[in-house]
Amino acid sequence: MDARLPLNSPQMDTEQPAQTARVWDLPLRLFHWVMAAVVVVAGVTGFLAPEWWLGLHVIAGYALATLLSFRLVWGFVGTRYSRFGSFPLALGGLYEHLRSIVRTNPKTVIGHNPAGAWMIIILLVALVTLVVSGLIALGGQENHGPLAAATGFLAGEMAGEIHQIAAWGLAAAVAVHLLGVFAETRIFRHPVVAAMMIGRKAPPGSAVNVPRSAHTVRGAAWFMAIAGALLVSGITLAGLPSSGWRALDTPAVYVSECGDCHAVYHPSLRTGEAWRSMMNGLENHYGEDASLDEQTVSIIQAYLVDNHAGTFDTEAAQRIGRVETPSLRMTDVAYWKSRHQGIAESVFRLNSVGSKVNCTACHTDAASGRFDDVKIHLPEKDKP
Amino acid sequence: MSFFAIARLLIVAAVAGGSAWSANGPANAAMMQDNIERYRVEAKALGQGFEAFSAERGRILFSSSPAAGKPDTPSCTACHTTDPAGVGQTRAGKEIAPMALSRTPDRYIDVKKIEKWFRRNCNSVLGRECTPLEKGDFLTFMASQ
Repeated sequence: MDARLPLNSPQMDTEQPAQTARVWDLPLRLFHWVMAAVVVVAGVTGFLAPEWWLGLHVIAGYALATLLSFRLVWGFVGTRYSRFGSFPLALGGLYEHLRSIVRTNPKTVIGHNPAGAWMIIILLVALVTLVVSGLIALGGQENHGPLAAATGFLAGEMAGEIHQIAAWGLAAAVAVHLLGVFAETRIFRHPVVAAMMIGRKAPPGSAVNVPRSAHTVRGAAWFMAIAGALLVSGITLAGLPSSGWRALDTPAVYVSECGDCHAVYHPSLRTGEAWRSMMNGLENHYGEDASLDEQTVSIIQAYLVDNHAGTFDTEAAQRIGRVETPSLRMTDVAYWKSRHQGIAESVFRLNSVGSKVNCTACHTDAASGRFDDVKIHLPEKDKP
Repeated sequence: MSFFAIARLLIVAAVAGGSAWSANGPANAAMMQDNIERYRVEAKALGQGFEAFSAERGRILFSSSPAAGKPDTPSCTACHTTDPAGVGQTRAGKEIAPMALSRTPDRYIDVKKIEKWFRRNCNSVLGRECTPLEKGDFLTFMASQ
């Protein structure tokens, strides 16, 4: 025990030393540490992992959405020091506090100190921004999640940009937060980490013990209610048909005639004009005679032209399908090149891949036209 | 009983003895012989002294590199591999089932399909249509593999 701490708390507690008071309720502490862990998972999968880890990143996002919703509600119905109303957000107070830090004698504050309170506001704003922009990006770019029905690709792409900016913002805010915690514990000897774990702080004056167990039950009930409501509404919304993608009834003759030689390309990968040109030039189809009888050509062409890139609002249709190239090849589209530049030529030459136009070798869902990040599966090196 | 019917019976009997064949093997082989017979009729009709199809001429056609068609397809073996029993690969990366009848028993049963691939691939590799003699030789070679 720190000898400097005042022993002025009148009530004696048999379990706990008298000079400490319970400040952080259990729901708040659980929220803090679970959220910290989830943010680490989201950060690692978002910043470092390749695209196909998106599944775990999204799960972390859903967990964050639930935790944040709980925290925002708890900020109004929680115990005294969890409530936003108790946050010392007055700018004058913040100025005084920062000055006291510069003079290296900040006071121990029961609840949050002004800098910590502002830190929490910034962290919460960044996290809410990340969750919302992430959901829009997931719905718009991947046609997945609760917002798939409501968001188009371009909105999703814009949200993706915001998501990245917010992620760097959060990373910076977390760094400042950790620096603040380091300063509090190491320089000013305020055991704030221990307080966030056991919930007790040594107050400078009189502090009110927050309720003991009733609040834990209440917090659990709130959490269950919020999680349940989010789960039900999320699953319901995710069940709606996505705005940018639809399943197609692919004619068998398309699969058998075109799919004999190459991947069964989705109609959304080229424009109607490109498909027409291609079907009119099958006698010299990229260096081979791929001619078909007239009836087969007309069935296949109708299918391709009816479902051309303009009729889909997916990433593949928007960024590759709608871009015309003189060769008609999608591999000549700048976006295709930039998205595949990290892949070594040797990968394309693997027996299991064969060529750059064999989308299905890595995009296991290419035939559907979705090209989900989570469906990317790079082939292992061919066995000798 | 015609010569053709006897030949067909013999093949069915020979094939039925093979253990590696699928249940439809004999029927498939017979249908392939129907198609070879069609080319025999066409070859005879040309009146260029046709005697019989030759698996050896078929092998030479399959293995040669005429490089007379499109530059990316100088020979059959460029995609089908030099081994008729081998698994080939299209230039776009798709697997091609072996050409040998023993490995892909249902390959030569559909006239339209056979004609489509002769039309396309003879043009791609040879730069011209194949003659009925070449088609019959080719199928006779693949039937023996």
